[in-house]
Parts: sequence; C-alpha cells; structure tokens
Amino acid sequence: MLSLFLLLPLLGIIALNLPYKGKKDTVALLYVLLLSVGQAIVVLFHPANFWHMPDFWGRFFHLALYADNLTLVLILSIGIVMSAAVLVAWQTISESKSRLNFINLALVALIGMNGTVLLTDIFSLYVFLEVTAISSFILIAFQRDLNALEGAFKYIVLSALATIMMLSAIAALLLFSGDTSFASVSQAVKNNCCNPIIIFAITLFVCGLFIKGGLVPFHGWLPAAYSAAPAAVSVLLAGIVTKVAGIYVLIRLVRDVFGPVGAINDILMIVGIISIIIGALAALKQDDFKKILAYSSISQVGYIILGLGCGSPLGIAGAIFHLFNHSIFKSLLFVNSAAVEKQTGSTDINKMGGLGAKMPFSNASCLIATFSTAGIPPAAGFWSKLMIIIALWQNGYHAYAAVAILVSVITLAYLLAIQRKVFFGILPDELKNIKEAGIWIVLPAATLAIIIIGVGVFFPFLFNSFLVPVSNFFK
Amino acid sequence: MTINIIIITALVTSALWTAMTVRLLRSAVGLAITSAILAILMFRLCSPIAAVFELSVCAGLIFAIFISAITVTGRITNEQIVLKKKLRLRRFWLLPVIVIIAAIVLTQIHFHAIFNLPAQPVENNVKIILWNMRHLDLLGQVVILLAGAFGVVILFKEWKND
Amino acid sequence: MNANILLMLVIIPLVAAILILAIRRLSEIIALLATGSMLIIAIALFRQNLTYSLSLPWAGFGIEFIFRLYHFSAFILLAITAFAFLIVLYSCSFMHGKNYVNQFYSYLLISAAMANGAVLADNFVLLLFFWEGLLVTLFGLIAIGGKEAFRTATKMFIIVGVSDLCLMIGIGLVWYLTGTLTISKITVPLNTLGCTAFILLMIGAISKGGSMPFHSWIPDAAVDAPLPFMAFLPASLEKLLGIYLLARITLDMFKLTTGSWLSILLMTIGAITILLAVMMALIQKDYKKLLSYHAISQVGYMILGIGTCLPIGIIGGLFHMINNALYKSCLFLTAGSVEKQTGTTDLNKLGGLWSKMPVTAVCFLITAASISGVPPFNGFFSKEMIYDAAMERHPIFYIAALLGSFLTAASFLKLGHAAFFGKRNQENENTKEASLPMLIPMVIIAAICVLFGLYHRSAVGTFLTPILTEQFVEHDASVLLVTLTAIVLILAVIHHIIGTEIHGGGVKAADHIHHAPVLGGIYDKAEKRLFDPYEIGLKIVNVISKILSFMDKAVDWIYNSMTVNSAYAASDTIKNLNTGNYSLYIIWSLAGGVIVLIMMLKGFGS
Repeated sequence: MLSLFLLLPLLGIIALNLPYKGKKDTVALLYVLLLSVGQAIVVLFHPANFWHMPDFWGRFFHLALYADNLTLVLILSIGIVMSAAVLVAWQTISESKSRLNFINLALVALIGMNGTVLLTDIFSLYVFLEVTAISSFILIAFQRDLNALEGAFKYIVLSALATIMMLSAIAALLLFSGDTSFASVSQAVKNNCCNPIIIFAITLFVCGLFIKGGLVPFHGWLPAAYSAAPAAVSVLLAGIVTKVAGIYVLIRLVRDVFGPVGAINDILMIVGIISIIIGALAALKQDDFKKILAYSSISQVGYIILGLGCGSPLGIAGAIFHLFNHSIFKSLLFVNSAAVEKQTGSTDINKMGGLGAKMPFSNASCLIATFSTAGIPPAAGFWSKLMIIIALWQNGYHAYAAVAILVSVITLAYLLAIQRKVFFGILPDELKNIKEAGIWIVLPAATLAIIIIGVGVFFPFLFNSFLVPVSNFFK
Repeated sequence: MTINIIIITALVTSALWTAMTVRLLRSAVGLAITSAILAILMFRLCSPIAAVFELSVCAGLIFAIFISAITVTGRITNEQIVLKKKLRLRRFWLLPVIVIIAAIVLTQIHFHAIFNLPAQPVENNVKIILWNMRHLDLLGQVVILLAGAFGVVILFKEWKND
Repeated sequence: MNANILLMLVIIPLVAAILILAIRRLSEIIALLATGSMLIIAIALFRQNLTYSLSLPWAGFGIEFIFRLYHFSAFILLAITAFAFLIVLYSCSFMHGKNYVNQFYSYLLISAAMANGAVLADNFVLLLFFWEGLLVTLFGLIAIGGKEAFRTATKMFIIVGVSDLCLMIGIGLVWYLTGTLTISKITVPLNTLGCTAFILLMIGAISKGGSMPFHSWIPDAAVDAPLPFMAFLPASLEKLLGIYLLARITLDMFKLTTGSWLSILLMTIGAITILLAVMMALIQKDYKKLLSYHAISQVGYMILGIGTCLPIGIIGGLFHMINNALYKSCLFLTAGSVEKQTGTTDLNKLGGLWSKMPVTAVCFLITAASISGVPPFNGFFSKEMIYDAAMERHPIFYIAALLGSFLTAASFLKLGHAAFFGKRNQENENTKEASLPMLIPMVIIAAICVLFGLYHRSAVGTFLTPILTEQFVEHDASVLLVTLTAIVLILAVIHHIIGTEIHGGGVKAADHIHHAPVLGGIYDKAEKRLFDPYEIGLKIVNVISKILSFMDKAVDWIYNSMTVNSAYAASDTIKNLNTGNYSLYIIWSLAGGVIVLIMMLKGFGS
C-alpha cells in the first residue's frame, strides 16, 4: 500500500480545492495532521499487513515504489516534522485563507518528499525533487514579505542550477544504462566505472545534491531562505525538506546506486568537514535567531555527510541516525524560534533577554535541543555524533574525528549564546508583558523534546533493534 | 540530418530570444515556440508520446500559466524598455557567442569514438514502453502543475486583490 | 515456598521506608512491624535450608536480576534481619524526641533492604546496585547527625566511593576474564589479571568491612552520627556484608589456596589492622571512639582468619564475624544507654555506674569479656580457631594476633574500670537504669553471646560448617595455645593493675603506653590525623588542584586571547563573504563543482 503515501495527500489537495463552503481550514488541518501522524504511526508500529499488502492501485498505475529501512526512517521523520510544522502554522498564521494555502502547499511538499524517499528510478527522482522544490519556493514566499521573496528567489536560482546539473547527469547516465531505474543505472556504473563520462555525470549529480542539501561551498541560498521564510515554513524546510531533497538522495545514490566510485568518499568527507567548520564559525557571530539556526544546519548536515563518506556500516548508521536526530532537534529549535518570534515580534537575539521565566516550556525545550545539537548526553544527538566519531576513528580518520569533536564545542558555544541572550539575563522593559506561546507551539515543542530525551535514554535498546538493521541493508 | 540541424538552429535561436528579450510576454511566447520546436524534434526522433507531452504541458499549460501571471503585472514604459535593452545586451552579449562556439566544438568532436559510448543504446519500441510505464512521473508532473498553479494564485492573483 | 518471597525481603523495608517518610507519627510502629516481618521470613527461610533461585529479566547484556539463596546467604540474612529488629527496638527509646527521627528509620530500613539485596544478589551488577544504594543511605544516616557530621559523611562518601570504584573495576575485569556476571558460575584463574581482579574486589570488600587503610571515617562517625547507626552499620551490618563478600570471592570465585601470595597479603592486612587499630583504641578517652577503633581492629581477625585459607581459619573468621557483630553492637548499645542516661560518653566524666545501671553493666561485662577472648564466651572460641590457623601458617601472625588480644583486653579493662567502677562523678548521682526497650536488645544479644560460647560446637555446626564445601571436623584447641591465651589475659590484668597504681584512676591505666618515648610522638601525630589516608589524600589533591588551577589559568589565557579571537575573526570573514549576491553564490557553487570534478577524476586516475 505504498502508493497511499502519494495518493492520499493528492486526494486531499483535490478535495480541499473543490468549490464548496464550510470550515475548510479546520478540516484541512485535521486531514494533514491525520496523514502525517498516521505516517509516523505506520512506521513505529509497523503493521505487517499494511506494508505487505499488495498495492491495490498498482493494477491501474505502474508506480514502482519500494520501501526499505532507510525509507522508513525518513517516512517517520517526515511525519513528525510535518505535524509539528502544521501545528506551528496554525498558531502563527491567523487568516483562514492563508492557513488553507499553507496546508495545500504542505500537502504538495508531502507528496514530493514521500515520492522522493519511495521511488526507485533516477528520472522519477528528478521529478519529485522538483515537486518538493517548487512547493518550498512558494512556501517561502507565500506571505509575500520582501525578504522572503528574495530568499525564495535565491533558492530558485541555485536550485535551477542544481536541476540542470542533475538532468544532464541523468541524460549522460541514460546513454550507458538504457534505462533509468536504480538497478540498471547501478549496473551501468559498475560496468563502465572507468569512463570519464560516467565520472562526470556522477560529479554533476552529486554537486547538484550538494546544492540542494546546502553544503559549503554550495550553500549560498540556505541562510537567506531559512531565515526569511515564515516560522512554520522554516520548521518544515530546515527540519525535513532539504534533508530529504539533498541528504537522503545523496545517501541513497552514493551507497545504493553509484557505489564507492573514484574519490567520492574523500570528496564527501572533505565537503562534510568544510561544512562543519564554516557553518559553525559563521553561526558564531550572527545575531539573528533563525540565521544562527540556518548556519548550524549547514554544520550539522556536514556531520551526516562525514559519517556517510567514512564508508563503514557504523558510519552510515550514524549518518542516518544523525539525519533523524537532526530533523528532530532542528525542527524543535525552529519551533522555539517561532515561539519567540510570535511573542516578541523579532528574531534579533540582542533585543531579548530573560524570556526563560516567562516562557518556561520554550526555554526548557530549547535547552534540550541545544544539548542534542551539541551532542551532550543523554540527548539523542550525543549517540549519533558518537557513532560517527567512532566510525571515523576506526577507519583511521583521526584528524577528522578530532575536528568533529572540537566543532561540537563551538556548536555548544553559539547555541548557548542564544540561550543566554534570549532566555536568561534581564528582561527588557518593553517585553514585560510577554507570555508563553500558544498551545499549538508548546505542544509540538514538548513532544519533540520528549522524543529527543526518549531516544537518547533508550538508545541502547534502539541500537540493536533499529539502527543495526538500517545500516545492514547496504551490505 | 539537414532538417534536424535546421530545427536545432531554430531551437537555439528561439531559446536565445527567450532569454534576451525585455518584455515578459515576448519571453513567454518565445518559451512556447521553443517548446513547440522541441516537440517537432522529438517527433522526428521517433518519440511521439514525448512530443505530445512536451507540446501539451510546456507549450500549452505552462504558457497558459505564464500568460495568466503576466496579465496581473504592470506595464512598463518605452523609456524603461530602451534602458533595459541596453543593460540586457551588455550583460548577455556573450551568450550567443558561447552558443555558437559550443556548437562548432561539439560537432567537431566524435564523442562515440573518444569515450566509446554504446553505439545504438536504445530501441525505439523500448522508448514507447518506457513512456507507458512512467505513471509515477506523470503523477509527479501533475503535482508540479498543481504546485505551479498554487504559486500563481497565491503569489500573483491574491496579491493583486490586496 | 515460592521463590518470590526473596523479593519481599527487599520490598517490605523499602515500602515501609516510604511509608515512614509519609506518615511521621507511626514511624516506630511501622519500622518495628517491617523489621519483625523480615525477621520471621528470614527465620523461615533459614529453617527450610533450601537453595532458591529467582531470575528476572533486567537490563540486558547479561545483566540479569538474579537472587540466589543458599545456606550462607540465608545465615547472613538471618543475622541482618535480627540486628535490624533489635536496633529498631532499641531506637524506639533512644531516638525518642530527637531530630530527623523518621528520616533515621527510613534510611535504616533502606539500608536493611539494600543489604538484603546485596546478600541475595547473584549477579555482580545487581550486587553493585545494592552496594551503592547502601553507600547513599550510609551518607544520609551520618549526615542527619548535624553540621560536623556532614563533613564526616563526605569523608565516608569519598573513601567508600573510591573503594567501590575499585570494586567496579574489579567486576569489569572479572567480566572480561570469564564472560559472565553470574557470581555462582564464576571461577577465575589466578594469573596476573586474575590477581589484579582479586585485589580490586578485595579492596571493595574489606573497605566495606572497615579494615585499614579504609577505616578513618569510622571513629569520626562514632562521634557525630546517631548511636544506633553505629551499632547497626559499622558494628554489625557492614562487617557481615564485607566479610560475606570477601569469603565468597576467596572461597568460591578465586579458590585461594595456602600457597598463594594473595593469602599472605590478606593475612598481613589483617595483622596490621588488628595491631594499629587496637593501639589507637587503647589511648582513647571516649567511650564511643574507643569502641569504634575496636570495630576496626576486630575486622583484622576476620581477614586474618579467612586469609589463612585453612578450613579452621575460615570457619574461625566467619564465626568471629558473627560473634563480633553480636558483642560489638551490644557494646555500642551499652554506650548508647550510658549516653542517654548521663548525657556524655567522655570517660573522664563517667565512673561508678555499676550500682546505678546494673543491667547495662552486666551486659557490658559479658560482651567485654567476650571481645577480650575470655572463656567461656563466644569470642574466646572464634579467636582460638583463628590463632590455631595463624599458628599453622606462620608464628608471626599468631604473635600479632595474640598481641592484639592483649591490648584489647587492656583497653576493655580500662574502659570498664573508667565507666562502671571506680569513683562516681558528682554529676551522675541521679543516673537511672535505661528504659526497657533499650535493655531488651542488650540482654538478648548478651544472652546469645553466652549461649554461643557455651554451645559453640552446635552453633558452628548449625550455622557455619555447611558453608564450606570440604569436610571440616572441629578438634579441640591445643592446650599450648589456650595456655598462652590465658597467660596473656592474666598479663593484661596485671598490666592494668600496675597502670592504675602508677597513674591513679582507670582512665589513665594505659597512659604509660600513650606517653612511651617513641610511641608518644606517633600517637600525637595520629591523634592529629596525620596518618589518616584520607587527610593525606586531601593534601595531595590540594596540591594537584593548585597546579591544575595554574595551568587552567594559562590555558584560559590562550583560549581567551587566541582561540576566541581567531574564531570570531573567521566568523566575521565568513559573514562578510555572504553578501547575498546571487552571482557570487553561483560562482561558488560552480567553482566547488569544478574542484569536485578535478578530485573525482584524480581519484579515478589513481
């Protein structure tokens, strides 16, 4: 029944845009929540009859969909982040019409992301990346704030570059494989691994994905897009969209399709370590809440790529686990920034202070997310970083491991700077009457914080039952 | 072969025009013409379904979306046009040169010989089957169009109403 | 009987402890009921004399929740629960009207629960869990004594914590060596690593028992902590646990033989502990402090006995363990009665209590005779067994033990003389006998001392002989040794009489030893805690921390002036590079792409 992941949102979009009157926005919210929470539940409880039921729609459409353990992790993250983003949107957007627009676009993005993680064809991959990308352009700009329009435009320009690269790469690969399915492309790469055209095509594809994932030096669009987007869109974008569009596809292609061609692992590690360092250093001196988070996102994505480039099963498992953790803690941080932005009307951390006493939930959850980002136990991020660093050490990349640990300190420094300037310190006079953000922001923040701590504390149980199988499928 | 070359030349010319023209409307028309020529090329290369799809989606639907978007924008004056033309020429004069040089270089290099590409990679009827099997991509295209429509409605139509 | 009953021994006291914290007024009754029911369960289990095993899934990775009851642990359980009941009964009167009464009972019950768990645990991690739990309640029990007590509690926490760390490392080593954590299945070969593991485990065990050099918190606690605590934990319960663990690791796990150097190590520790602690005990001028040094010294006998690795020595050590628990707790209880009735334990202010507190005095006499090894009390028989074994190994250990015996007898003569006989202090004219709930436990324990002495064969036969796997036939103590013991005792009495004559007064009977030429200086330094390993350790730590703090400042300077500034400079540069210019971003991306391509092709070439 994998096609339901695509068809149900599509059905929702159609139903929401039929010309009828009524409380469309509430219905829409409930529907999208149902879909995203359902998606998470289907993964967590893993009902066998759902996953193994023959695809009813397959008789009518030829949808070559496929789910393995890596896909399940992503489907779970998509479900969690999507529900958090929709709730935040509900709190931050007050107009009924804008809410409806947001949900429509969120559904499009949901189709795009679900399609991206489920499909098994390199051309379909391009199509669904475009679906995801277009929905995110519009999402960034949809409140027509001037900054947001600029951010969206930067994203469009660099994304178009990425698209051109990937499309040419697909064309070049098609020359050899004669088919665009993962299996035949993989076979063609294996048979012609010494051909410069193949190398060129793979390079183009990987660079396109670097742009999509926002890795240094391909990251130009990312800070502007993340920080200018409306609060709820930032959650969605930083939490999951770029991770699916860039990082998931990179993991899938590099491990599953291209294999360790040429110097690809070295390149991944170099790009990863540069992203880690540059992202963290850049975040250090920013004074905009969301910009810090955006640069931090670049840095954390670097860790994922580093783990992937390391090549050992432990490194890949760590990368996938960090991908999941990153989607949780980065969404939580953006939810907190949404709460602060909603209550104070600003994201400049120098203008704030002492909000901790007034906004206890945001304060606590932000601290938990900070710990997870910097890799401090018992938060979940500690374990994934540990796995990546151990994998690096085991494979002899001692310098990389050392840098990865050092940058963790910088990570803690800039995130604690947020904590100190926003939540601790003295409350400015103009913020005296501030209150905790509404329930629809507090609820997802609390849930995400619980997930972080829960995953962190029960990691030893998850390790054998969840993570080892995830990396095993690469063997 | 000659006809193909003529068609490709036309394709590149119309694409250049699309990129370099100042008025949005003309640019959109140029895009539609490019798509149409591309469809002819695909038809000649024995991919009728691809051609039909290109014609319907790119030349038809996207053109319609562009036109509807452009109708909500404001007009610009003739002085502005002259100014912009100068700017654009200054910025894009290299583009035709690069295209021409690239064309010459590419026709002179024998890729098949150098990189030993497979000689006859794809059979014709395989292509047809390929297109029949590509329902997932069709679904994706439909969703892209939906998204584009949302974009136009949200970013342009509602803006105008404000 | 269901094996789940074993769980009740842990659950009942825990539940009762929580109840006591919640319902302040009924704390005595709840504590009595809980310890009483535990005692009944323990008696029933002991009488059944079966082997139970209870296994529950726990943390995974080979860490299971296994309780195993067999003869040895049933015997220790019986002792723990009996002491818990008697001490609670005693405390009903003693603790009446003091601060933190409910906390005291609650910690006491939790300690009992942890001790039961530790005795029953058949998995090392589970054992460690209960062991550390005991450390926490120990801290709480000392700390409720007041402000000074907190310092002592911290001292205890550090000392016991360090030795528990050794235990932990030892357990890790054992796991590494054998691949299992189930205690009853472990047999460790005595190679280099095995010996290291044994020493680490031994440190954990004997420091719980209070042996030197892990003893120094006990005399401090004797002054600061509530008295029933002393009678319950350092005097009885901790000895039971520590020696229990020591016996298990020496006998079951490592199967130490007489030939091993570890056996000699154990015997040496035992002998040194006996002598040094009893030397300190001799010069004390405080009832409780004097007893607390004996609590340390007596452990030496047990370690010596077990360390001999001879059946008679082991049986003697274990018999001494239970005897010591009996008379030492009773001695502490008499100290408590005296403190409660007179308000002091300073020997200079006491005296002539014999006629005012006859029952307490009789109990004291019996137990003091017992600890000094006077026949026919129980202490005599266990000591004779240890002497026998020590003599068989090497006379020097025997001489050390005998010397310890002499000093013990001397110090108790001094204590008894000073507290119960001699001239009565004016302030104590109106002293009365202690109340009934305090007398009952003392009388019971003293009676058991006498019974164990009179029927020592059947006591050993019932409680101890089944613990040994090999056949053990008790033979009569050799005439020579008994004669020597008798001579030593008589010498002690003579020494006391002479001392009293010279210095005038029971308290000062040992002053000539205190102020002897060489010993005097050593004693002075010891009194100033100059030999306390904890204080020495603290000094070393202070020096290290000063050095570290200096280095830290230097590092700080480097960090502040260099690292932070360069990081900020880099951050500024990157910020300035991100101008928001599209073409710049595109150029970066393309340049990055070209570099990646070059690297790919290079990697492909090689």
